[in-house]
Amino acid sequence: MGAAGVVGATSRTARAASNKQFKGYADSNAVLHDMTRCIGCRRCEAACNTVNELPAPEQPFDDLKVMEAWRRTTARTYTVVNQFFPDGDTLPPVFVKKQCNHCLEPACASACFVKAFTKTPEGAVIYNADVCVGCRYCMVACPFDIPAYEYHKALDPKIMKCTMCHPRILEGKLPGCVEACPTEALVYGKRDELIRVARDRIHTFPDRYLDHIYGEHEMGGTSWLYLSGAPFEALGLREDLGNKAAGEYTSGALGAVPIVIGLWPVLLTGIYAINKRKEKIAAEERAAAVSEAVDHAEVQAEGRLKAALEKAEQDKAAAIEREFKKALEAEAKARLASGGSETGDGEKA
Amino acid sequence: MVLPFGLLMLTALLVSLAVARQAPSEPIPGRADIITIDGLRAFGPLERPPVVFFHGKHTEALAKAQKDCLACHPQGEKYLSLKYNRTADTDKQAVMDVYHDGCIGCHADYRSQNQPSGPVTCGECHVAEKAVNNIRAGIGLDKSLHYRHVKAAEQKCERCHHAYNPETKQLYYDKGKEGACLYCHKDQTQENRIAYRQAAHLDCVGCHRELSLQKKTAGPMECAGCHDPEAQALIAKVADIPRLERNQPDVTLVKAHREDEKVDAQKPRMALVPFDHLKHEGATQYCRTCHHAELTSCASCHPIQGHADGKMVKLSQAMHEQDAQMSCVGCHTQKQLRAECAGCHASMPAEKVWAGEAACKVCHMPQEAPVARPGYEMLASEMAASLIDARRQIPPPVAVEDIPETVIIDHLVDAYEAVKMPHRQIVQKLSDLMRDDALAAAFHTQPTTFCQGCHHNSPASLKPPQCGSCHGRTSDAMNLTRPGLMAAYHEQCMLCHEKMGIEKPANRDCTACHAKRAETARNN
Repeated sequence: MGAAGVVGATSRTARAASNKQFKGYADSNAVLHDMTRCIGCRRCEAACNTVNELPAPEQPFDDLKVMEAWRRTTARTYTVVNQFFPDGDTLPPVFVKKQCNHCLEPACASACFVKAFTKTPEGAVIYNADVCVGCRYCMVACPFDIPAYEYHKALDPKIMKCTMCHPRILEGKLPGCVEACPTEALVYGKRDELIRVARDRIHTFPDRYLDHIYGEHEMGGTSWLYLSGAPFEALGLREDLGNKAAGEYTSGALGAVPIVIGLWPVLLTGIYAINKRKEKIAAEERAAAVSEAVDHAEVQAEGRLKAALEKAEQDKAAAIEREFKKALEAEAKARLASGGSETGDGEKA
Repeated sequence: MVLPFGLLMLTALLVSLAVARQAPSEPIPGRADIITIDGLRAFGPLERPPVVFFHGKHTEALAKAQKDCLACHPQGEKYLSLKYNRTADTDKQAVMDVYHDGCIGCHADYRSQNQPSGPVTCGECHVAEKAVNNIRAGIGLDKSLHYRHVKAAEQKCERCHHAYNPETKQLYYDKGKEGACLYCHKDQTQENRIAYRQAAHLDCVGCHRELSLQKKTAGPMECAGCHDPEAQALIAKVADIPRLERNQPDVTLVKAHREDEKVDAQKPRMALVPFDHLKHEGATQYCRTCHHAELTSCASCHPIQGHADGKMVKLSQAMHEQDAQMSCVGCHTQKQLRAECAGCHASMPAEKVWAGEAACKVCHMPQEAPVARPGYEMLASEMAASLIDARRQIPPPVAVEDIPETVIIDHLVDAYEAVKMPHRQIVQKLSDLMRDDALAAAFHTQPTTFCQGCHHNSPASLKPPQCGSCHGRTSDAMNLTRPGLMAAYHEQCMLCHEKMGIEKPANRDCTACHAKRAETARNN
């Protein structure tokens, strides 16, 4: 059964710091924790331990005495249920389940520089141990103090935190804790739908609930929503976090880091490219100039040759003409010298 | 936003040191006699913080010296002045001098006689923030206390009740028009009406003092006598209080119009609402619980269309507003918070309880009003009485043999064995709790109505559907507002037990309801 959503074909990387606004995947899932229904039986803890194959606890899960002290999530426990007495020591106590809240824009992911955290479209924030370098920035970044570290492991320690049972969700099952809850103080479903359900409960029983869904807007919104009849601050849920996602606070500073780092190659490549371009243009221009010069010279030479030839032709013609004239003149002279050659032949004899 | 880590650690260290250094503070003893002396506010903004004054401390000290109220309060017109050492506020300097001369002078006297005394310097009295624990509780004349005063005053209502004649500017007694002091005397003094607090202290304490001077039995004169919650609990209660006489009806039909409105009596638009005034008198301590502004019918200020006299609150709102203490529905909703009711009603949306036609018909009796005798117009009181009689015809309860004795809940047997729910026992217990409750009898119109506390969202019947008819084996992905079967059982049982104050079985004591199943059985 369960209400695992159809996986949309959306990108699977959680956004590290950027100035993009990311308001969660449409149709992602969430869990609604109604504290007025929780009886503090710790079955969610036991189920979590089983489905995630975590080490056995020091005290068994049916030992309710462990609630006398406040507990946090550890490398061996993904979730704990704490009890609070918001109005002094009056009974009954209010029980609050603590686990990863699966932020829409996770602080852990925005602090992680190897992208070990992924906000999946199904709603879970999952962790990839293969790329994790163990810097534990995520533990500092998380406003809910959730990620824990396997300090006890000498080799290959990992960050440990609730996965919203992401593998089970993909199989169409409910998260382990939700399935085990005997009073449905935990309800799993589409986040939008759960917000509607929560509003409906507040509206129907105005005396039972505070008019506030914790997680709807806190830290930019989380995929674990809480309803309560007592002030959240008195139940260990911080109300000083504001409604901005962690990434929005750091995007200005961290967003510049990749730009600055990434800028050098771009800059140098650019300079190189510009220089190359300049050289190329210069070469092209030179070649063009040369060819133009050559062309020009050829034209000029041709002109001169033509002019020379023409001149030679003219000279030749002039010379011929001159010789022709000369010959004519010589002939005329000779004719004058013989003096009537038809009449005077005898005289000279 | 993100502080450097070192700075954070330093802050945390400083905070923890600061917290550690604070010794656990002693709880401040509660006082019911705290007065803030700020009489100079009338002359403009204060130059120094007002003085926090413990009245009881001073009366005790003066009593030891055989002095009474006159030591500080001069005689006024009728009783002592409520002001300190003066009867009126003349001007700023005069009032200031009265306090400074009187208080400091007296403190200095006591000091010179080596007796315990108060401060004499400015900063000791004018403290900006003084840690005080004010436990003063207001007090009213409930029916019992009122009756004790009636008896002591020998039925002379005029001893306390008065009206104001604007022409003669005199107080006079208007017989038959008595009402609560609060009707005229409000939080603040208005024109000729002094504030409620002044009126009460002037008359109550004044009269108590006179009686005690006459060596007669008298009420308290010191603050704590009336305003300390512990002292209030010690005030003797009269067991059988005779009914207050103020011309009120025993039963009546709820009016929908003001006295001066023309009404077409032939056309009542709404089924008539008979009202058992006498029964409601027994259910409340003060007339002003319902008659919050004057002792007249609701419709005289809240007619159907609303009226300026009633701040335009319409009759329907005045009667049905769920959040109002003095509306019918509001008060009846409050009654559902009682342990014997809350088991079912806490998980029932209020609108569902009040929105059903059956709920309307409880008050709005169908128009099959008893036929008047020919030629005789039935009086409203007679009509109301007969309707109320009709309303009281309670159908006989469900026969015992028709109530299943045990219900075996075994749909989900896995880690635990089936539950044998003592069904009949639970039903009979609830019936016993409701037996003598007129409100429950009136609103649980069918013998099977209260079955709907558990068998909700289905019509009342002797054979209501089982829980599993609607609640599936797992939570319903299509309808997240409807829990699965296991959650439905747990929620229904646990919430009811919690609201009814039933401590056993405890919520987390699984085996109190169902025995743990052997591992071998589970795997089959």
